[in-house]
Formats: sequence, C-alpha cells, structure tokens
Amino acid sequence: MSTCGTTPGTPATVTSPHRRAIKDSVAVIVAYLPFGLTLGATLASTRLPGWVAWASSPLLFNGATQLVAVTLLDGGAGAVLVVAAALVVNARMLLYGASLAPYAAEWPRRWRWIGGYLMTDPVYALAVGRFRAPDGGGGARERLVYYLTVGVTLCLAWQVLTGAGVLLAGVLPDWFQVDLAAPLTLLLLLLPMLTGRAAYAAAAAGGAVALTATALPLGLGLVVGAAAGIAAGVAVDAWRRRTPRPEGVPDA
Amino acid sequence: MPELLVLVAVGAGTYAMRAAFLVPARPAPPAMARVLPHVGPAVLGALVAPALLAPHGAVTVAGTVPGVVAAAGAWLLWRRTRSLPVALFGALTLALLTTAVFR
Repeated sequence: MSTCGTTPGTPATVTSPHRRAIKDSVAVIVAYLPFGLTLGATLASTRLPGWVAWASSPLLFNGATQLVAVTLLDGGAGAVLVVAAALVVNARMLLYGASLAPYAAEWPRRWRWIGGYLMTDPVYALAVGRFRAPDGGGGARERLVYYLTVGVTLCLAWQVLTGAGVLLAGVLPDWFQVDLAAPLTLLLLLLPMLTGRAAYAAAAAGGAVALTATALPLGLGLVVGAAAGIAAGVAVDAWRRRTPRPEGVPDA
Repeated sequence: MPELLVLVAVGAGTYAMRAAFLVPARPAPPAMARVLPHVGPAVLGALVAPALLAPHGAVTVAGTVPGVVAAAGAWLLWRRTRSLPVALFGALTLALLTTAVFR
C-alpha cells in the first residue's frame, strides 16, 4: 500500500525513509495550507491576545482541539469546561498511541517520549499507512526515522502556517476559507487504510454514528462514532473468522 | 494570562494521552490486539463524515452537496492517480464550483 503520490509498486529500498517522509509530508502541508492559515486567522479574531491564541499551536498541535479550546475561551467558558471539552475531543490520541505502540516497541525510550508530542491526525495516518505496508515500512530504525521526519516537518509547518494566519487575519480573501480542505485530506489518508471489509465497516459505522451524533456536546459525537466504528470492525472480523470462505473468493 | 494557563493545562492533558500507550509500548493483550487494527478507519471515518456532510453542524443542501461532490471526486481521482495532491486539489476545485452554484 503506498501513500501520497508514490508510484505504486516502487520498492521501499529505493527511497530512504526521510526522503520518503518529506515527500509525503509536503503533500500534506500543501493540503493543510488553507486550513492552517484560516485557523490562524480565526485564532486572531478572538478576544485573546494574538500570541496567546497562537501559543495553542505549539501547546496542542492539533487544529480541531485548538479551535475547540480557543473558541470556548473566547466565549468566556470556565477553565474546567474548556479542559474537559478539549480532552474529550482528543481521546482518540489514546487510541493512536496504542495503535502505534507495537511498531514503536523497539525505538529508544527517549524517542517515544518525543514521538508522543508529535502525534496528531495526519502524522498518525501517514505513519500507520506506511507501517502497514507489505514491507512493514522497513526495520524499527527506518520506521523511527520516517515517523520523526513526518512529525517534525508537519509540526514546524503548522507553527509557521498558523502564525502566518494570525498575521494575515483580515487580509485573507473570502474564497480562501476552504472548510473542506482538512476533512478531504483526512479522507485521502483514510482511503489507503480501506483494505478489507472490516476496515470499510469500521469507517462506515464510525462516520454514520458520528454524523447522527453531531448534536452531542463537547465533541462527544466523535468519541461515540469512533467506538461504534471499532465495534463494527471487530464484529466483521469475528464474523469472517467464523464463516469459512468459499474457495477462490479473495478477501476484501 | 489565565487563558494561557488553561491552554497549558489542555496541552499537558493532550500530551499525557498521546504518550500513555506509546511510551510504555508494551505488547498489547489479545483483546486489545483485535481492536487496534480498526482504530485508524473508525476514528478517521468519525472525523471525516460530519466535517464533510454536516460542515456547519447540520445536514443542509448548501452545506452537504459540495461536501458529497468533493468526497466523490476525491475518491475517484485517488483511485485513478493514487496521488494525494492531485485528488485533493481536484476535489477542492469541485467543492468551490459547487459552493458557487448554491450561493
């Protein structure tokens, strides 16, 4: 499975892990340009001092969480509510960590501490896409280099993009506010993960339940949707393991 | 700067959740190992569907149609080219054109 513009079938040994990581990251950065700039402009439009709102970028390194936290603060919400809402939205980070842990077990511990800071939606999606490739993304060292390179590149780009958005607030044209850029990028990182019926079931159930649960407060819809999707994936897996497949019918 | 302190608290909590399983990196128990492969598709599906289909919190014609058109375009372009930038910018162009129709 290849991600992000690499020619299908190119042997992984041809490209070094950091060159591949930078290539994959650049595609995501270009995709996040509108979102990062718009988010920066949104941060600057709150009654918080510009630099405080921007500080959410290095502190949280996740656009959705920053938006939740800063807009709640702007509305005068209490500290406990802001922290609770942001952490509910971020509960998926626990799952991301657990999902990456088997691939990170052989990394030196200090790099796992640093890797934790860098873990956000596109970094997780690129890394897991790479590590689940038929060659496993190379050995432990190649995986570490790939993960850190993607993480550091995207993290630095995010600070610059949101900072530029804060400074350019009010200058950005209306048509530039492309709300769909970030979800479309995540959709394109999701597509390579759909490698079998269980994965389709997980994504479809997660999406459908999250969509019907959008009215829930504190971003709980995302948590409920993710739980339903995981349950659907586990159920389809178990059902397929119990039902013997007829000869010659491929999986997926 | 009380707002900055709140953001620092959110950042600390977020880091704790990111590191909780990644840093110990213990082998997952069998029940957990069955669940983990579905995390990526389930969470990304749950992130993407509401953002594309109910961009302002509700399903409306003007909000939903551009999202559906863009998602379908992204999927088709990705199938043909396997290129994230091509599929993304094709889909964004479709979204802008569709949004303009409903304006």
